[in-house]
Amino acid sequence: MSLIDQFQSVFRSASKPVYRPTPRRFEKVLLLTDLPTAEANAYAEQARALVMKARGMGAAPWVICDGDAAPTVGDLLALIEREQPDLVVAYRNLHSGGWRWPYTLGDHVTVLTQVTDVPVLLLPRPDALDPSRGTDTVMAVTDHLAGDARLVDAGLAFTAPKGTLFLSHVEDDAVYARYIAVIGKIPNLPTDVAETELRKRMLKEPADYIASVQAALAESDVTVKAEVQMGHHLSTYRQLVQRHGIDLLVLNTKDDDQLAMHGLAHPLAVELRDVPLLML
Amino acid sequence: MNPTILAAAPGAAAATPHAVPLWVTLIFCGLLLGLVLCLAFEEKIHAKKSVIAGSFAVLSLLAAAAFGILPLGPVTNSFGEHLHMPVFMQGVDWGVIGIILGSSVFVDVTSRSGLFTWIALKLTKKSGGDPLKLLWLYGGMTVVFSAVLNNVTAMIIVGSLTAVSLERLNRREKLLGFLLIEGLLTNIGGLLTLISSVPNIIVGTAAGISFVDFFIAAAPFVVVATGITLWMGARQFDIKKLATEAQREEAARQVEGFDENDGIESPGFFKFGAIMTLLFIATIATTSVLPWVSDLGMAWVALAFAVIMILRFKSEPDQFYRAVDWDLIGFFVALFMVINVMEHAQVLGLIGKGLAAIIGMGEVSGGAALLVSSAGFSSVTDNIPLAAMLAKILGGLGTPGDSPMWWSVIFGANLGGNITPIGSASTLVAVTIIHSNKLKLSFAGFVKKAAPYALVQIVLATAYVLIFLR
Repeated sequence: MSLIDQFQSVFRSASKPVYRPTPRRFEKVLLLTDLPTAEANAYAEQARALVMKARGMGAAPWVICDGDAAPTVGDLLALIEREQPDLVVAYRNLHSGGWRWPYTLGDHVTVLTQVTDVPVLLLPRPDALDPSRGTDTVMAVTDHLAGDARLVDAGLAFTAPKGTLFLSHVEDDAVYARYIAVIGKIPNLPTDVAETELRKRMLKEPADYIASVQAALAESDVTVKAEVQMGHHLSTYRQLVQRHGIDLLVLNTKDDDQLAMHGLAHPLAVELRDVPLLML
Repeated sequence: MNPTILAAAPGAAAATPHAVPLWVTLIFCGLLLGLVLCLAFEEKIHAKKSVIAGSFAVLSLLAAAAFGILPLGPVTNSFGEHLHMPVFMQGVDWGVIGIILGSSVFVDVTSRSGLFTWIALKLTKKSGGDPLKLLWLYGGMTVVFSAVLNNVTAMIIVGSLTAVSLERLNRREKLLGFLLIEGLLTNIGGLLTLISSVPNIIVGTAAGISFVDFFIAAAPFVVVATGITLWMGARQFDIKKLATEAQREEAARQVEGFDENDGIESPGFFKFGAIMTLLFIATIATTSVLPWVSDLGMAWVALAFAVIMILRFKSEPDQFYRAVDWDLIGFFVALFMVINVMEHAQVLGLIGKGLAAIIGMGEVSGGAALLVSSAGFSSVTDNIPLAAMLAKILGGLGTPGDSPMWWSVIFGANLGGNITPIGSASTLVAVTIIHSNKLKLSFAGFVKKAAPYALVQIVLATAYVLIFLR
């Protein structure tokens, strides 16, 4: 009955997720710092300037937390529960000297992204923040883009008018190579067919989804561009960020199968320290 | 088989029966019964049709040679030339084999153009995702695809799409009903044209019914039976229109996600496939009146179109040869060999005496009895051996081409497939898709659900044959 499988494959392939925009608004913003009040306010000004053109940002005053507001992770979670913000703005290694060793995000940010559902805008630390860069060029990053409307909506909400939203999808070529090597050892699976068809299919699904995003946003003032390719996650994204002068990266941080941060998000968040990140 | 090619055409022996002792005939009756039983329990004995029929062909040919009942010697053609053809090949109806082989290759290559999936997805979108509209459109598509392609391919295409689209519409609870109705409709669609099912080809060719005459005679019944089956199906499985505007909008959004162009790799080949499909239907329909083509027959048309389509993939035709259902082809070849032996052993003559009694009941009672008994036999065993045997016997009895008896066999053999899941290949495919989607349906469960439909269809067919086709 291989013909049944053949036609089911054809129809499954034709059944595609279609993007439908759901505008996102971030009215209530909570800024977390470990700075004295005056410096925290100054940082807030810079942060607001950075995202002032983002179409999803509300006009309400931000709730600014100085260094005394939530020194422990427990205090932080209680604060989030009390304030119920739409967006948390923070930077790495709050209340810690770990920023000198760029290997972690710090306890506050790591727990915050996993425990709450509130998106976190992770900015460079106060000494490295450049408010003039704005959010004209935003890139959504994932290893499974097809159907991820939430990621696209968030990216769109932060893209400035007449800006560019890159939707990127990088398939890990090391994983692909391992699968092909295994298929090469199975006699009744044709390796050459698997090699070309698997690659084509892996890249086609995100490309089709991006095409549906482009169609849905054709009338908007945002240009949507695709970056779908095979590569090494970290180095390829680093290259893409440099090549396109990305102002903000949008990425998922939660993984239903684990307590730890999503496998793609953590290394990017640790290493791309100069680029603002919106962590969902 | 065209009688101008080989003088020793099938049926010749029946026309001039030679003496065979009754006890020899009874031995061969036992072999035939063994074949029918093995085919009925094909699933139980885990053997493919070609292997079963091939085994019985080998055995019966050896027995026939031992009893000296085979017409050994060269075959003479219409030019008086002697052809050397093995005796066991002479009984094979190569015209039928050619049609099946050519059609299946043609359909397989054309399906690579994305044409059939394009049509199927366009209709899905046309339904707006409404379950009742979807049932009627899929039902209509099943009938048309069964008629134009064949009922197995139709069931595979429509059944596969049904599983995917109902999943997308979150209507999985309706999948069993949809697949069952579609399975039943394949056997109704299989009645629409002369080439829609193998029994049609065998019996229609033996009766000398042209493609157009067949279509004109069968189409009104197919339309009415399809409508009644869909109406009954919608009621039995509670398939209704969507009630609210919000539901309709959501369903429409879901089906809009189907991309009908996804399977089209080459727009040029897609157009070529569409044109060739129309040409194929037109040529098959007019074969009997086209100069030269009428001499070569429908098998030549089917094979010629298969070759033309394969030209597109001339450097890699192997993939299409692999896709041919060789089990089915092997089954037909072996079956024709067995039936030819049975003819020489006077087994068909013996069955013919019983059939003559049925025919002797008159056109009304005899026609009805033949249709119902054909349906009964088809429900428990393959309808192809039945059709092949009855076609030979009716031909041997000198039944005129316009007799309703031929139609009784055609309608009975096709509709009998709706009584049990093993009654036809397409209902078996429907059950396979049902099981592959983790839905439960036992043999008895199928019979319980399908029996009312089969009963209505057979009663309707009997009335139709006796009123309109006498």
